[in-house]
Amino acid sequence: MKLRNAALLLLMTFILVGMLMPLWWMLLGAFSSTFSSGSLIKNITDYSITLDNFASIMKVKNFGRSVLNSAIVGGLVTAGNLVFCLMCGYAFARFRFPGRKLLFVTVVAVIMIPVHIIIIPLFLLVKNIGWYDSYAALIVPFLVNPLGILLLTQYIREIPTDIEEAARIDGAGEFRILFSIVAPMCKPVLAVLAVQVFMTNWNSFLLPFILTTSDSMRTLPVMLALLQGYQQIDWPQIFAASTVSAIPVIAVFLLFQKHIVSGVTAGAIKT
Amino acid sequence: MQGGSITSKQRHVWIYLSPWLITLFIFWAYPFAHSLYLSFTDYELLAKSSSFVGIANYTRLLQDSDFLRALLNTAVFVLGTIPFTTVIALVLALLVNQKLPGAKIFRSGYFIPSITSLVVIALIFTNLYSKGGYLTLLCDMVGIPTPERGFLFSEGTALASIMVMDIWIASGYYMLLFLAALKSIPCEHYEAAAIDGASGWRSFWSITLPQLRPMMLYVVLINTIKSFQVFVEIYVMTKGGPLNSTLTAVYFVYDRGLHRFDMGYASAAAYILFILIMIFALLQMRVFGIERGTAE
Repeated sequence: MKLRNAALLLLMTFILVGMLMPLWWMLLGAFSSTFSSGSLIKNITDYSITLDNFASIMKVKNFGRSVLNSAIVGGLVTAGNLVFCLMCGYAFARFRFPGRKLLFVTVVAVIMIPVHIIIIPLFLLVKNIGWYDSYAALIVPFLVNPLGILLLTQYIREIPTDIEEAARIDGAGEFRILFSIVAPMCKPVLAVLAVQVFMTNWNSFLLPFILTTSDSMRTLPVMLALLQGYQQIDWPQIFAASTVSAIPVIAVFLLFQKHIVSGVTAGAIKT
Repeated sequence: MQGGSITSKQRHVWIYLSPWLITLFIFWAYPFAHSLYLSFTDYELLAKSSSFVGIANYTRLLQDSDFLRALLNTAVFVLGTIPFTTVIALVLALLVNQKLPGAKIFRSGYFIPSITSLVVIALIFTNLYSKGGYLTLLCDMVGIPTPERGFLFSEGTALASIMVMDIWIASGYYMLLFLAALKSIPCEHYEAAAIDGASGWRSFWSITLPQLRPMMLYVVLINTIKSFQVFVEIYVMTKGGPLNSTLTAVYFVYDRGLHRFDMGYASAAAYILFILIMIFALLQMRVFGIERGTAE
């Protein structure tokens, strides 16, 4: 048994190295003064750490702006989802109303529908209403996501209704019941949702890419993808920029692992 | 179900649902329908007028060798990645589920690639795969022949290289789903099997796998829908080249619709892909559903 465990651990360590090697390669490039694949492999002793690549990437016009854009958009989209998914989840979990079943099926269907089908008409729509290349285009369509509604509905269903009923008898208004009684009880699932939405948004590429055009409206992933085409940008700078994009997400993951794991699995287990 | 003043509560339901319903209709449902309409027109962004052309876009697409190539590449991508991703994810989940020291560290480590931005990963692999890059040098060291212009600029290896990267990214994500399913299998099943003298291998086939079937369906289904839409890695790494060898269906839609602004045509392509995805998804539900029905 001991031998078997040792063999398994060895195998798992081997896989772990394989899984993390590309990211380690990114960090190696981002912090190196003389980066080239050949020299790094042949003579690792030449390696010296520097922050120059970060300094030079920050000087690229609008790079800092793209980081700021991602933070602003991510923050507002997350805030919107917290409020609106809570409202929808509460409505689905606690109320009977005509069309409830149909709407709930719609929630699940929208999760499954491939986004490629709407990119062209969404682009046209956003252009026609004058939102093209603006924060509104990056934020408003993403304020309520169906996965969040599902998450909240399932969570609120499990909460006993006694406290709400008692508050209702005491004459508390509907909004008061939702925001000052139900919301605090949903804190764990709201944390899951916040982490999930922020990370997805921070990494999202396709829609932000087609809904903006000027460099000052780009989000970080879009900026990154376009950096390759810039003159005088080399791999060390691209890796430094990639590090700026990847590190916050990995940090959030390591800090809030439990939330992320339950967010990933919650949708799957109960559907 | 609940008492109280029905009418005032009813009103609140629609207030609660309105932000979702409004964004749903404006930004998802309407474009979804508009896309179908566009697919029957010759709409071009820069043209002054557009007219109804019936199914002309669809018939033209079926004769467009670029589009057929895109469908073929997408099929190769889907069929070539999903079996590997699923099996590797399951193996990883079984490994991490062993009661070994540091299992949590391994779990987190394997999961990290799938939470990192796809653009970042694609950039890193562009460098690794490039001529004189880390992977070519490694191959040279062990004597494996490498393509002259780097993996991504050679017709024979470009798509396969991107597929390998995608398997690498996704395995950790699906591992987590399998792990959750594994943990929800009641221990009593295994205890009973052990009492009956079943070997570990035997109980894997007759307990673990059947119990994992619903999760297996979910994993394959989600992965199918996702993989059919492969775009970001193509945009960052190859732009569909060399010689269309990595041109995928969504890249085709993007290129014709938002690059050349031939929007009616691109919408028809998008709808064909959508229908194919739906057919695949329903087939998978059928296959897994029937098997599950007989197993129970």
